Amino acid sequence: MGSRALLMLTNFNFKTTVSSFGSASNPFFLIKNNLRTRNFSTKTRSSLQPPDLPGLAETARISLAPNEVEEFAPKIGQVIDWFGQLQAVDLDNVEPAIRADTEGDNLREDAPQTFENK
Amino acid sequence: MLSTIQPPRYLSRFPLRGRTKSRSFHILSSAQPVTKTCFAADQSQILSIRDSLLNRHLSAVELTHSYLDRLKQTEPHINCFLHVSDPDKVLKQAQDIDDKIKRNEEVGPLAGVLVAIKDNICTADMPSTGGSYILEGYRPPFDATAVKRLKDLGAIVVGKTNLDEFGMGSTTEASAFKVTANPWDLSRVPGGSSGGSAASVSARQCVVSLGSDTGGSVRQPASFCGVVGLKPTYGRVSRFGLMAYASSLDVIGCFGSSVADTGILLHAISGHDSLDATSSKREVPDFTSQFTYASSLKSRPLEGLRVGLIRETVDAGVDSGVKSAIEGAAAHLEQLGCVLKEVSLLSFSLGLPAYYILASSESSSNLSRYDGVRYGNQASSDELNALYEESRAKGFGSEVKMRILMGTYALSAGYYDAYYKRAQQVRTIIRKSFKAALDENDILISPAAPSAAYKIGEKKNDPLAMYAGDIMTVNVNLAGLPALVLPCGFVEGGAVGLPVGLQIIGAAFDEFAKHKCLLNGFFERNL
Repeated sequence: MGSRALLMLTNFNFKTTVSSFGSASNPFFLIKNNLRTRNFSTKTRSSLQPPDLPGLAETARISLAPNEVEEFAPKIGQVIDWFGQLQAVDLDNVEPAIRADTEGDNLREDAPQTFENK
Repeated sequence: MLSTIQPPRYLSRFPLRGRTKSRSFHILSSAQPVTKTCFAADQSQILSIRDSLLNRHLSAVELTHSYLDRLKQTEPHINCFLHVSDPDKVLKQAQDIDDKIKRNEEVGPLAGVLVAIKDNICTADMPSTGGSYILEGYRPPFDATAVKRLKDLGAIVVGKTNLDEFGMGSTTEASAFKVTANPWDLSRVPGGSSGGSAASVSARQCVVSLGSDTGGSVRQPASFCGVVGLKPTYGRVSRFGLMAYASSLDVIGCFGSSVADTGILLHAISGHDSLDATSSKREVPDFTSQFTYASSLKSRPLEGLRVGLIRETVDAGVDSGVKSAIEGAAAHLEQLGCVLKEVSLLSFSLGLPAYYILASSESSSNLSRYDGVRYGNQASSDELNALYEESRAKGFGSEVKMRILMGTYALSAGYYDAYYKRAQQVRTIIRKSFKAALDENDILISPAAPSAAYKIGEKKNDPLAMYAGDIMTVNVNLAGLPALVLPCGFVEGGAVGLPVGLQIIGAAFDEFAKHKCLLNGFFERNL
């Protein structure tokens, strides 16, 4: 996802994020700008930053009104903190399961098939 | 009788003709195909309808009229439907069935059966909105595979039911269009997200209905509305045409007023579909042939069935009324010959945060397709990103927006390992613990929800309180196992009490093999 790549480039340095956005046609840009610099923290990269709502909204292509940001931020913060309890679980040597995988292999035979030329 | 419990009479003043109300019960034949029925089929609405139609006791048109009348009467109070099919079209389909029967032609096993479909399942000739403004007015150009299969077997689709937007929610209050009420108490929620489907079967507006279950969305409303709800194994039913919420967890599930009906419905929609790469190629057993005659049952018909009651689900945090209903059901199972044990699943409580991480993350990806460009509501804008942002901001409700944002966060670079990957690892642990428990026991039982239906508006502002209600159901989705919810008792509340459901969890693809006996057992019970 291009948006993830963007976050990797920014390296949690919000000042460069702000300057890298060329288009200022979005009316919420200025508000987001202010909120972003307000959320700027000097924590090290390895610790988990709290959710930066305006940044996430940009990535998810949903425009958030300022009152929505105020309304959602505590609720989302609460839920993300609750998610944090998984950090405490010992998960060494456990394979991640992509899906329930009730079946095992569900692949077709590795043989060429002809399809209609649509 | 449990299979025919229904909300107070004031809601349904036109009893369905052809439905017997006798208190004795007869179990379906194991050997005979569905077309030949020679028993009092009051265990199954579908079979009794078929019986009446083929023996000309009732015409499909009369049957349809009585359901449609009841729908029209009850709908202003419970608001189950987002779209009701044109009655003329529905009656025409019923007339076609009657004509075929008159000409002694074959009619499908579901001929004349009225089905309601949850609005996140695509139907070609009706709007499918997913409960959201962003798809308002969207008419899919295709039928979902499950819907197509039902139509091919003669079922009549009576309408699209209300749901929490895109399946995100546990109360049906998060629909963009209306709030559905629980037929047992109009001030309470029907559960969610398939609240409309559950309530419509509960109020007898239709015979059976389809819902979808990602984290309990079929089982919890079944418990709240006092109907039977079935979640099949992941991969049993094709997801083609189901609007994806969390692709690794979604399944299409069935509601009915009896276990037999849900079994017949499941059989109709199951099977491999080349359009769904995650659908299983496994043979679909004939679920309906696994029910057995009452007369052939001994006095302890479930002799030897090993039942495990999940201890973590009857601990603190569960309503005392629910606990006693479940314990009563467990005691009854023991009377019928089961070997009851308490089972402890140590990783049980981890399932809930893991589920919400996985579901939010997958939904943030799945819902990125709703951009207002081609379908549904579009916000006007000069610039593409602004078009996306405005259309999505206006089209999505707040619960959906929050989950997308949480999912976007959990999948962000640097956080993926901390959240999504860990949640997937927890999924492996939960799968293994269920598998181990199901090796020792034939089935596992638990309540379907920690309480009976609560009041509308009660959990609206506290997301964690609402999420907490899913604790009984999400682990089953993570493990991909099948589960059935049967009404098993009542608690105080409402005019006549509120229903409570018992959840029965089986091994993968084993939807009814073990449950066949249970339905007999429960139907012996007098409420």
